[in-house]
Amino acid sequence: MEATALGIVIKAIIILAIISAIAGFGTYLERKVLAFMQRRLGPMHVGPYGLLQILADGIKLFTKEDIIPQNANRLIFGIAPAITAATAFIALAGVPVFPDFTIPEFIPLLGGTFVPSVAADINIGILFVLGMMAAGLYGPLLAGMAQANKWGIIGAARTAIQFLSYEVVTGLSILAPIMIVGSLSLVDFNNYSSDHAWLMFTQPVAFVLFLIAGFAETNRTPFDLLEHEAEVVSGYATEYSGMRWGMFFIGEYANMITISILAAVVFMGGYNDLFFLPGWLAVLLKISFVFFFMLWVRAAWPHVRPDQLMWLCWKVLMPIAVINVVVTGIVMMV
Amino acid sequence: MGLEQFKNRNVGTQNYRLLDLGETPKTGFGQFKQVAKRTFKGELFVGLWVTLREMINALFRGEMHTVKYPFEKLPISPRYRAIHDMLRLLESGHYRCIGCGLCEKICISNCIAMETRYDENQRKEVSEYTINFGRCIFCGYCAEVCPELAIVHGPRYENASEQRAGFSLFEDMLTPIDKLNLQQEYDGFGAVTPYADENIKKTPLAY
Amino acid sequence: MSKVKTVDNLITITIDGKEYKAKEGEYILNAARANDVFIPAICYLTRCSPTLACRICLVEADGKQVYACNAKVKEGMEVVTQTPNILEERRAIMEVYDVNHPLQCGVCDKSGECELQNYTLELAVDSQSYSIPDTKRETANWSSVLHYDPGLCIVCERCTTVCKDMIGDAAITTVKRGGAELDKSYKDTMPKDAYAMWNKLQKSVIAPSNGTGETNCSDCGECIAVCPVGALVSRDFVYTSNAWDLRRIPAFSAHSSDGFQIYYEVKPTSIDDRSERIYRVTNEWNYVSLDGSARFGYDFENRDVVKDEISFNFAIEAFKKASTVRFNAMITNEEALMLQTLKEKTGMRLYNPEVRAFQKFLGYYSEAAGRSLYSTDTDTIMKKNDFVICVGSALRNDAPGMKYAFNNVQKLNKGAGLYFHPIGDTLIASFGKSVECVTHKAGLEEAALYLILDLFADKSKLPQEVGEYIQGFKRTQKQTIKEKVMKEVVETVTDEETGETKEVKKKVPEMVEKEIEVEQNGLVELLGKESDAFAETFAKMIAKKESFALMVGEDFYYHPKAQNLAKLVALIEKVSDIEVVMAPPKSNALGVALICDLDDEAQGYTIGYNENGDFRLSALGDGDLDMPAMNQQEGTFTNLAKRVVPTNAALPYGGYELNDLIRELIGAPRETIDWTVKLPVAKGFKAVEFDALPNGYTNEGVENRGYLLDIQIEEKPLPSVEKFDEATVMEGEIAYRCNPARQFNDFTDKAHEIFEAFALYASPAKAESLGQKVEVVFANGSIVLDVVADEKMEGDIVKVPDFKSAQNVYELFGDSRYQNVTIRKV
Repeated sequence: MEATALGIVIKAIIILAIISAIAGFGTYLERKVLAFMQRRLGPMHVGPYGLLQILADGIKLFTKEDIIPQNANRLIFGIAPAITAATAFIALAGVPVFPDFTIPEFIPLLGGTFVPSVAADINIGILFVLGMMAAGLYGPLLAGMAQANKWGIIGAARTAIQFLSYEVVTGLSILAPIMIVGSLSLVDFNNYSSDHAWLMFTQPVAFVLFLIAGFAETNRTPFDLLEHEAEVVSGYATEYSGMRWGMFFIGEYANMITISILAAVVFMGGYNDLFFLPGWLAVLLKISFVFFFMLWVRAAWPHVRPDQLMWLCWKVLMPIAVINVVVTGIVMMV
Repeated sequence: MGLEQFKNRNVGTQNYRLLDLGETPKTGFGQFKQVAKRTFKGELFVGLWVTLREMINALFRGEMHTVKYPFEKLPISPRYRAIHDMLRLLESGHYRCIGCGLCEKICISNCIAMETRYDENQRKEVSEYTINFGRCIFCGYCAEVCPELAIVHGPRYENASEQRAGFSLFEDMLTPIDKLNLQQEYDGFGAVTPYADENIKKTPLAY
Repeated sequence: MSKVKTVDNLITITIDGKEYKAKEGEYILNAARANDVFIPAICYLTRCSPTLACRICLVEADGKQVYACNAKVKEGMEVVTQTPNILEERRAIMEVYDVNHPLQCGVCDKSGECELQNYTLELAVDSQSYSIPDTKRETANWSSVLHYDPGLCIVCERCTTVCKDMIGDAAITTVKRGGAELDKSYKDTMPKDAYAMWNKLQKSVIAPSNGTGETNCSDCGECIAVCPVGALVSRDFVYTSNAWDLRRIPAFSAHSSDGFQIYYEVKPTSIDDRSERIYRVTNEWNYVSLDGSARFGYDFENRDVVKDEISFNFAIEAFKKASTVRFNAMITNEEALMLQTLKEKTGMRLYNPEVRAFQKFLGYYSEAAGRSLYSTDTDTIMKKNDFVICVGSALRNDAPGMKYAFNNVQKLNKGAGLYFHPIGDTLIASFGKSVECVTHKAGLEEAALYLILDLFADKSKLPQEVGEYIQGFKRTQKQTIKEKVMKEVVETVTDEETGETKEVKKKVPEMVEKEIEVEQNGLVELLGKESDAFAETFAKMIAKKESFALMVGEDFYYHPKAQNLAKLVALIEKVSDIEVVMAPPKSNALGVALICDLDDEAQGYTIGYNENGDFRLSALGDGDLDMPAMNQQEGTFTNLAKRVVPTNAALPYGGYELNDLIRELIGAPRETIDWTVKLPVAKGFKAVEFDALPNGYTNEGVENRGYLLDIQIEEKPLPSVEKFDEATVMEGEIAYRCNPARQFNDFTDKAHEIFEAFALYASPAKAESLGQKVEVVFANGSIVLDVVADEKMEGDIVKVPDFKSAQNVYELFGDSRYQNVTIRKV
């Protein structure tokens, strides 16, 4: 079946609507999971089991006063959150989430429309996704620099070094799988794992490195130095309030989902049917696990110091990644 | 106590235990070894396991710690000093307060005020009694000084209101007459000590 | 006679090994107190006779146990305040006092200032050895102000003592309690004095002395003040406040001219109303005794006044328009000086009918006597004099301080008293055996003074014509009389308790028949007494007396022959040993008389200050512009004792003061009390700042309040006096301008604890004949009054009060206190 414009629009809407909703829902999940791991209940009062907490938070964020500091660069201050949110969603355009499907005929108007697995199955999909995510660094960077706040500046500086450094590790760690699959299209990655073993078993080092770098890219504990409360108040987001801050938030959770999907698609077999599980359910479970793992890590581990972060990146992870690429190449040649 | 002793005094018993943290690596390679050692030793996974275990305990074994406060309340100590209660005599139901004014006098935040008068039965009647809870610091002196165990600190600690300085009147604190049977004898601040009887010299009534 | 201390001879005594100076003839207790040595004592009152009820003041003097309140110091006496035996006695006494004393300190009004509490703690009574069944004793209200709880009473008899020895009413006494008998075994096991005290205590309780359950007294409340426990409390105060909640403000009582020192005790009105109000008035009862107006006339403040600028501007306009300010004696020295300054600067007339007559009289007196003020005061009389004469004053009503002094002299100085007044008073006759009341016809005051001259003057000093004039009233008669002669007999008596034999001197009457030449004194007969009988009584009264005082009252000031009376008083003072005290008619009459240059008449537009007028400044809250009442003011006051005493504001006042008006009109300092230093030195005042004036008593009982006025004395020849004018004698229906005791002015009337009505007061017989309500018709008007019987009055003259300024009684009476009236039943 050919991908039609309507199908792609539907896919885009699905991505935007569902993922942004899920990003909000992610905060609920995070609070719940963290609470359970500390033997608390977490949000309980808005809706059953606190399910509507996100709604309440949303109302709160939308109705809060939008504060722009006196000496801030108003334009950049306003654009920065949009960059974060936009890049996060643009990145999702190149990520296949579900298997292809056709909308059943009995649904009026849209019936019979083919919805592709990926909104834009471009042949450099993985580069596109990583690139967009890397471009997302402008969000925190500009936000921190525009707000005329010393914590913001520190947060911005940390953004620059952390994102740029770990971009290297992400790229190098995923290079070995690319070499094995021989394509940059994520659909090809998925197809590859339908008749091969999952890449996380054939490329465990690359998988671990990718996950570590993913934590850093998404600014998650133990690498949440950009906005670490104990050190820099709220880092680049210090002066943000209301929905602007909410956009950072959505961006962060969208990125988390992107990384989860990438990990699931690239290393964990994608949306192929798994045993008795249909593909879409399998991929959902995989994504959920990676997402859960991110929360789990936050509950379990302390964060590192900035110098440790750099040391880890350049002296440990990058060499290992390079070695991994070289070893993979040698093995492939042999 | 001299100044020297004062400076060198030990507060409590020292009971510290040094953890064996090993040597801090000096060289880059040493550091790398440490990272590798720690990574492969699985310490990280211990942390993951602990949190996961607690989650399982909380969710499936009923070990959730949270008390859903406004709906559930933990029992509080009888010595807790919350909003005052005015007790009644168990036999007659008459309030115990005799209007002696000692609580008013001893109150260090000066928040107790009372009015008394000569009533029809030739007794001192407390016609008005208020505590300004905007000023009360819940020190418990009033309960301690009360010769009749009439004013005590009850367990009612939820005293948030729109008007903090609002008065609380005698009737608000008094045990409702229909709940007299539920009135608890106070064993907290200012209550009679268990050996009080032994310390009292009794008036002879030998006639 | 030995009680009278003319000179304070200081002697040396030793108390607990330390040497102290003491006045000769002083009781050990007072000597110790004067030297700040503590000897416990409950029943003793400084200016009253020792009761020996509590026996706790036991000390050892020169090796013998004596009661400190009753034993006098001697040169070189060695006093020990604590011996094992004394401590045992004291402890036992306190234990006895605590037997059956209700443990209700929590509700008791006295708690915190209770002497029983204090001494129980002081003597560390922490256990009880004695017991006896209690007697049911019901609380009672004795009068409109007195509340007695016999359960709390420790029968120290201070109330009865002060009522008898100081107040003179003797309205309460000890009666049988009907309590259980003490266990016989106590007599042997208990300390002796404690047993004796308990024996008495267990048998008695206090009750009104007339046996009715109601005291018919002047309701001065002094018994409340002296009560060491919570037994006697003002009905109004019962259970309303704890002693420690009240803030004490030293002040003076402004109603009577005595200017007693008082403390206003204030505390917030209620929980809702945090503004303060006066709860009661207390006093230093050891050194000053209050009358009912001082104790109960306290809540006359002008409440809730704010600065009303419109009224203030009207007041300024009114002042500019006015030609007279009418005011009364209820005004501080400072305010009087303001008005005087206003007069000097603007020519405003000052009209004050209450004070004007007194001012004139004082002027005549100093003109004749050569001294600016009279020579003695009530306190000195109590300390020193043993013979007091009172002329021209309704002693019971006009000047409570003088009444107390008159009584106290009888009780404590074994004195005698002569009371000249047209209205008979049974109470004054009851002050002592040696009190002679001369009830003369109204208008015969001059004759009374001539009689005093006759009785007391040094005849050699008397001007010849006066001597002859007096002699002219006398004639001689021969009479055979039976005379009682007192004969001294020495008897030997055996003391039952101790078994000691003593020689006791006894006086035994004997009848002797004698023929004598008797001088008949026409003056005495003129004044309505039997000449012989009077001569006989007077001879007894005068025996062994050496210090005399004359009290002059308001009747003189309003007498048609006031000038002659003043001269006579001056003459008496000059030619006899008599010292004179005058009762300023009301409040600060003396201060106003000295400071202000008063006019005889009001003219034109009049501003009334607490008085009637075209524009009224009033502290009563009913005027055109509010003024602070006396308990809201700072200032000074000149009292009967010629003392300038300070008072303080007990209650806040938010409105304009007279000073604000004066400042607007002629310029004035910032505060009223800035005027204090400007009081006229020429009139005897001192240039002392208000804040430098003390207001208290020392432990010795020396009055340390304000300062005494300087008295200028110049040599003057004896004044020439006129013969008395029989034309002034009044016959027929007579009304006398006189307030009931406790009422002095609108302010006492406003006070809620003073109930005396604005009514016609008459003797019971007269009241019965008058019926319920009468119209009293004067020459220039009439007034309708209810009739109230005053049991202590005698005769046909009726009293018409003047304390309501709105009734304008002064106008009705004009220049005299006595007026012929027609009384019609209504």
